[in-house]
Amino acid sequence: MPPWQGGGDMIRSVTFEKTEYADPPTKFEAGTPHIAGAVGLGAAIDYVQSIGFDAITAHERDLLAYATEQLGRINSLRIIGQARAKSSVISFTLAGVHPHDIGTILDREGIAIRAGHHCAQPVMDRFEVAATARASFGIHNGRDDVDALVAGINKVLEIFA
Amino acid sequence: MSDLRDLYQEVILDHSKRPRNFHAIDGAELAKGHNPLCGDRVTVFVKVVDGVVADVGFQGDGCAISKASASLMTEAVKGRREDEVRHLFALFHDVCTKDDVEDPEGDLDKLEVFSGVREYPVRVKCATLPWHTLVAALDRKPDTIKTE
Repeated sequence: MPPWQGGGDMIRSVTFEKTEYADPPTKFEAGTPHIAGAVGLGAAIDYVQSIGFDAITAHERDLLAYATEQLGRINSLRIIGQARAKSSVISFTLAGVHPHDIGTILDREGIAIRAGHHCAQPVMDRFEVAATARASFGIHNGRDDVDALVAGINKVLEIFA
Repeated sequence: MSDLRDLYQEVILDHSKRPRNFHAIDGAELAKGHNPLCGDRVTVFVKVVDGVVADVGFQGDGCAISKASASLMTEAVKGRREDEVRHLFALFHDVCTKDDVEDPEGDLDKLEVFSGVREYPVRVKCATLPWHTLVAALDRKPDTIKTE
């Protein structure tokens, strides 16, 4: 297979008569390697380990439980997906409001969610919805973010009232 | 940052909740529009008699912007000549994407409410999907058209 691109480290020897390429995988890895990415990955692993997976899991579970409870108080809101061991993500729908309208309004309120079929159309069919809105929680979030989400959803309901 | 009410104006909310001409039409030309990224789907039915839109309707599911756009579109084009409809689509597209659209005759009328969409570039395709689909029906191109 010929190299897809030329550059540093992908040749063994070059003369006017003949060019010999390095053995794969080097042959296909021309140019400066992704050094910054590797260093960044190392820093990210150090950061995550300094917090610890147990602490991360506990924080995310707390946010998931808190958000599930708070969102559960909104009458027209339906949480999609109630698996016991699910990650700290909540997919939901609001009666009479399309998820893309929810997304646009929350965006203006400074809240980033994902809206649509989430590249999972068979699951949408399974739950008989066209699309959902989905909020995810991580270590950088706090309970105040959940409160902001609830306030944002109330704004959506106010506009669509 | 523009107010959300510029996008979700009363007229748009009203038409999204109670869409007008929200029905199929037997024996009409039809075209299907689909926005694969967001899942919006619309089918537009149009009956042209002597070059004039005699009847127009739509069916489908989508966000408030796409539903209201389809509903207001059907009201705007009924009774208009085909060339007027195409002119109106060009004006409508401009009002969704540009500032200071020239409309000396006031052809846009109610469609002016979509001027708020220009502040939300990702929502432009929601507003224009029904129009692309209507033009496909007028062009007798029933294959699914996409806004991507």
